[in-house]
Amino acid sequence: MDSSIDPAEILAVRRLSAGYGGRAVVSGIDLSLVRGDILGLLGANGSGKSTLLRAITGQIRPLGGSVTVDGADLAGAPERAKSGFGLAMDPSDLPAALSGRQYLQLVASIRGCAEDDWPGVDVAERLGLKRWIERPIAEYSLGTRAKIAIAAALLGAPPLLILDESLNGLDPLAAFEVKRIILALASSGRHAVIISTHVVESVPGLCNRAVLLADGRMARAWHARQLAEAGRMPGAFEAEVMRALTVQAADG
Amino acid sequence: MRHDRLVLILIWRELSAGLRSMRRRDLAWIVAGGGALLAYAIADIAIALQAAAATLLQAQMLWTVGLPGALFCLGGFAGSAVARLCLSRAFAPFLKALPLSLVERRRMAAVAAWALGVPLALIVAAATGLGCFVIAKPLAPAWGLGAVMLFGSGFCLAAVLRLRSARDLVGIGNADPAGEPGGRKPWLGAFDRATPAWLSSWAWGLPAGRVRFSWRLAGAAILLGLAAVVAGSISLAHHDAVPAAMAALAGGLLVFMLSARFHPLGSPVLRTAPLGFVRAWLRLARLPLQLSVAFFLLPAGAALAAEPSAWAMPLASGFWLLVLNGAYAVFAAYFMTAPFVAALSFLSAIAYASYESLEYGRTVLIGLAALVLFLWHRAQRRYRHG
Repeated sequence: MDSSIDPAEILAVRRLSAGYGGRAVVSGIDLSLVRGDILGLLGANGSGKSTLLRAITGQIRPLGGSVTVDGADLAGAPERAKSGFGLAMDPSDLPAALSGRQYLQLVASIRGCAEDDWPGVDVAERLGLKRWIERPIAEYSLGTRAKIAIAAALLGAPPLLILDESLNGLDPLAAFEVKRIILALASSGRHAVIISTHVVESVPGLCNRAVLLADGRMARAWHARQLAEAGRMPGAFEAEVMRALTVQAADG
Repeated sequence: MRHDRLVLILIWRELSAGLRSMRRRDLAWIVAGGGALLAYAIADIAIALQAAAATLLQAQMLWTVGLPGALFCLGGFAGSAVARLCLSRAFAPFLKALPLSLVERRRMAAVAAWALGVPLALIVAAATGLGCFVIAKPLAPAWGLGAVMLFGSGFCLAAVLRLRSARDLVGIGNADPAGEPGGRKPWLGAFDRATPAWLSSWAWGLPAGRVRFSWRLAGAAILLGLAAVVAGSISLAHHDAVPAAMAALAGGLLVFMLSARFHPLGSPVLRTAPLGFVRAWLRLARLPLQLSVAFFLLPAGAALAAEPSAWAMPLASGFWLLVLNGAYAVFAAYFMTAPFVAALSFLSAIAYASYESLEYGRTVLIGLAALVLFLWHRAQRRYRHG
């Protein structure tokens, strides 16, 4: 491991450009996450949130720049870098034929852990997955698919948890439980979390950092203190985000 | 009806979107490289036909049974494949909500199958007519017309049978799953637990790892079993290892080709996991290889028992079975979502390499190996970088 790397730094993204067919969708992205961070990734549809997460998780090759996960360079040591994060799959990407238990066993076998090796809590129990777990994923509702995807992402307690709009389909109780788990992970000081979401109002209460993407660039960033201040006044953070989005739309 | 062309429009849009999503450089390579290869193949075949013209013109069986039978069977295969493609679009998930009856969906698929079948028939007619012209067969245009009729008959028969057998897939997709209780043990538990667990169940689409009985599966198992028994019996009766050894090789390869599925390699579940391409590829090939070897053992054992002094023959069959299975696994990993295309490409490559090796010797095998290595490299790159 490079001696210049901060041991607390879990994710380091430097001058990242990524896109499809040689055309950049996101460019010039610099991002650093340390243990304890919960980053809210915001942006309009097509702003580049999912493309950025695809580049960070190695699903597309960056056009430029670098991604380092827990000290491992994604391009140089992809398997070591990928063992540093757990990604909650998009519900449509889950293996529909397998049962929930089989999917957990598949992910656990790759990560070299037990199928119930979650950080501190029984996630299946907390998210109410037990009665569905023997059934094929094809029979699951959108929310149940999101739950099994989150449960699988947490297996083996990876240092970085990535949720790409995974909170959207959850019922209120499951969403509450997932938020509690995320806060507990971050407060343990061993994990960091990235949450890409359109639920802007949930960000100040859940995240200690936020980034707004617009036209493939980081248009605005909020630190813990700014988020805490915005969170004290109901609707203040949403108003700020909407203002930034409106300005970007007008400039665009 | 106003919906009739819907499936045809969908297929056309898919094709044009696929072409547009490709990089111009790749497209240029495919058009230029593919065009050059096709031109070379046509020229080569024309020269070979001219050289063998006298023999071909004398072969009565070829013109009375062989060619008509081949054209009819080709039409049948094409009709079945095209009708299947069209039916899959007529029952596409995003069309499920539309108020279209089973009859309307069948008609949409039939219109599309007809529209795709006409150019295919014209290509077959042109190829047959041109072939007859090259060898100076009298009435070459009439042979082209006959080829259209035979190919068309096979195509229409197979397409109609498949379209008529189409059930209401909308209803099946919405069936209440409560009728099938969960909690039963997966059948493949003992074989599919190696890391990464359940990969073959996923690849084969077994719901919760349970194998469902189907007449197609039972028919294939009976046919393959019969072929092994017949080949073994012939070898034992004639004290000749060749029939059983050949059946072991061909049957083992067929079993592998029918059972190998590699579509999980395209899934973000594996691609974002700390799992290398080689490990995932080997794991996906593992169970199909076990099935292939299990089939191989019966006729290979019969070959050994029939002619113990020719022990090298079943051994060589086993070696070539491993080589061919490995090569097919590369093709299947490259064409991961289209096993039929993978099988067709693999068999075409093998057939073409065999044909060229008659002229250029075994050096052609180097070209085939280079193709396999190229496909391996591309499949690995796509797994890593999308």
